[in-house]
Amino acid sequence: MAFSLPLPPPFDAQGWKAKIRDRERSEPPHVTILHKRRAWRINLRTLRFLDCEPDPRQVPKQVLEHIGQNIDLLRKTWDDLYPENPVNSQEDADE
Amino acid sequence: MSDPLFLVAPETDKRELAAFAGSVLRNVDAVRRAYSEHRSARWVLVNASALALFADSVEVHNTWHRVLFLERARAARRELLYALFRVVVAPDKGVQLLPNAELQEVMGDEHAADLIIGGVVDPDDRRLIVYRGNLDRLVIPFDWFRSSAKGPRPDFNAFSVIDSGQTIKLGNYEAATDAVLYDFDSEARRRMRQKEIGADGTFGGSLRRLRLQKGLSRSDFAPISAKTIARIERSEVEEPHDDTLATIAKRLGVKADDIKSF
Repeated sequence: MAFSLPLPPPFDAQGWKAKIRDRERSEPPHVTILHKRRAWRINLRTLRFLDCEPDPRQVPKQVLEHIGQNIDLLRKTWDDLYPENPVNSQEDADE
Repeated sequence: MSDPLFLVAPETDKRELAAFAGSVLRNVDAVRRAYSEHRSARWVLVNASALALFADSVEVHNTWHRVLFLERARAARRELLYALFRVVVAPDKGVQLLPNAELQEVMGDEHAADLIIGGVVDPDDRRLIVYRGNLDRLVIPFDWFRSSAKGPRPDFNAFSVIDSGQTIKLGNYEAATDAVLYDFDSEARRRMRQKEIGADGTFGGSLRRLRLQKGLSRSDFAPISAKTIARIERSEVEEPHDDTLATIAKRLGVKADDIKSF
């Protein structure tokens, strides 16, 4: 099932969401912050924004902090959903 | 990015259209002017009276215009819509559309083409047809909706669009709209690639992204060894041999020239 990280108030009521869906762009592993018609991808390896648009500064600091506090849970969730491309990929070490 | 948006609503129609970012046209002159000034536009016709107003206003030849008709249309009226527009989106049996308020917001969004407003499941041909905010269609094979061992399987009998057009929901299974567009629309993919910060822009980086998107491992490219695939992905091979490229492309289900666009 798609994973939705519960966000603290008032951001949940304002429609902010943080999701890892069952079918995402696979590489790199990420969590998507959704708000209305906008989405921001956060790299689960580096905790950095993956895209320059929409403007990352539009995401409330508290939402990012909450994601940082739950990074282990998000990484585990990604690995469960995308075992072929885990957050700590050992591919290069393997070949 | 999207074509201009016009709403045709006769004077007598008092519904709330404030969330639509497009121009509201209420008489023959306004419709005629808008139609003549644009070779291609998106139209929203709110009901049969609006369709009649549109049909009375324009002379249609080889149209590139697209329409969202907000009422169910019987067969003959559908034929009229198809005669007037290149693309017709309308409520019908099995067609799922966003709730009206979200529909208005998505249609009026500057990135409407990158959002989905609805769609319909074709179980016989095992395809999901989705409508984008620019009223273009995308056809997605059921097989694309892959699930992991620990995830749910997509339920095509429970299709809906959520998150203001950013997520396709199939029962408990959810797919990201941007993942759909990345795989099925090269122009959308190009736009997404331009927005990426610090992504590996080499051929090897593209190959790695596409391989993982397809759920393949490096050992899935026989007779090419996993070691060779790894070397190509790390850009240690300057230019893969044509035969190697052809084998890789065939396994990925794309043209060799398209790999670098991923």
